[in-house]
Amino acid sequence: MEIGTYFDYSDYQYKVRTDLPDAYRLVWQKISQPGNWWRGDQRVAIANEVRAARHCRLCSKRKTALSPFAITGTHESVSDLPDNVIDVVHRLCTDASRLTRKWLDESSLSKELYVELLGIVVAVISIDGFHRALGFPLENLPVPQPGEPDGYRPPGAMDGHAWVPIVTPASIGEREADLYDGSKQTGNVVSAMSLVPDSVRLLKLLSGVQYLSMHDVPNPATNGGRAISRAHIELLAGRVSALSECFY
Amino acid sequence: MLRESSKLERIPVDLEAVTSGLVTHGDLNIEGALVDFAQAALGDNIEKIAIARANVVTQLGEDAMIDAAAVIANFQRMVRIADGTGIPLDLPVAMITAGMRSRLGIDEFSSAANTPETGFFKRLIGAILTPFLPVLFKEMSKRK
Repeated sequence: MEIGTYFDYSDYQYKVRTDLPDAYRLVWQKISQPGNWWRGDQRVAIANEVRAARHCRLCSKRKTALSPFAITGTHESVSDLPDNVIDVVHRLCTDASRLTRKWLDESSLSKELYVELLGIVVAVISIDGFHRALGFPLENLPVPQPGEPDGYRPPGAMDGHAWVPIVTPASIGEREADLYDGSKQTGNVVSAMSLVPDSVRLLKLLSGVQYLSMHDVPNPATNGGRAISRAHIELLAGRVSALSECFY
Repeated sequence: MLRESSKLERIPVDLEAVTSGLVTHGDLNIEGALVDFAQAALGDNIEKIAIARANVVTQLGEDAMIDAAAVIANFQRMVRIADGTGIPLDLPVAMITAGMRSRLGIDEFSSAANTPETGFFKRLIGAILTPFLPVLFKEMSKRK
């Protein structure tokens, strides 16, 4: 299946502005290709686990447990990814607000593998979430592309205030010059995945079409030309964050 | 951002609805429809989602409903990035939202542990700056 044929909304009930499926196609293309740390087939398998996590009984039990680390068992998985990888994907999908630095440190995943995995998980969750909200069927996952990851680690990535190393505007290198659009400051959530620069690029791409461009975000006087007011955009943002028990 | 955009756009939004899910003032029909849509879209009940979606279309139109769906989708991503990397709240935001976070119960979320407690002086500076935020943001918007 050619990437250009994905996210064709022409037969669906609602007329969706074209920048959304255009961005989704680019994300699907990136997921199908080798990244810095995972092969294309592994990246698509991670995407597939995102969908499996939604119906995983172990995840449901953990979600209602006093501590998510008190319940052991086997996830209902759909891939041959290692168990620790499946566990990380499922927890990120179903109970992210109760994750801890200790949990990540004990996950046996390098920070680089983890951040790239996180970038895939969150991209798929948001695209699938859009489809669910509109009552559209989920798009088929892309066909994995051959090739090996290149192992690129940005030289400016350093330990700081997060669980993973981060490239700050002050430590940014030439290859990452586009990440913060030349700004000397950026929100922590934008730089959070900068250990794998393409994860930030996908974040900017998706946020730019689903929410607002990075330029518009700090200015509460603009709604970026959307059909709802900025106040209503922020009401939705706040409600989703609160329902997800996200402090940030 | 909700508080400031609400002031700038002169749309009186019920801040408590963010955590309670109940809209008690402002435009009950519109904001109630949006809050219901967000709640339904995060669940698995297809029928509830369809009803909530139709309600937003009735209140605001189809384009607005699609933009609302996109925002809901966007924040399902952002919360996991924040929670999955343990980032703290950005310091200026922490300073100007300290009182509101406490009042709305947001400080009780597990992931609040990733942000150092906002000390007295930072809270004080935040409280002093808060009334001037609409002016600062208006200046920012003029620079566009």
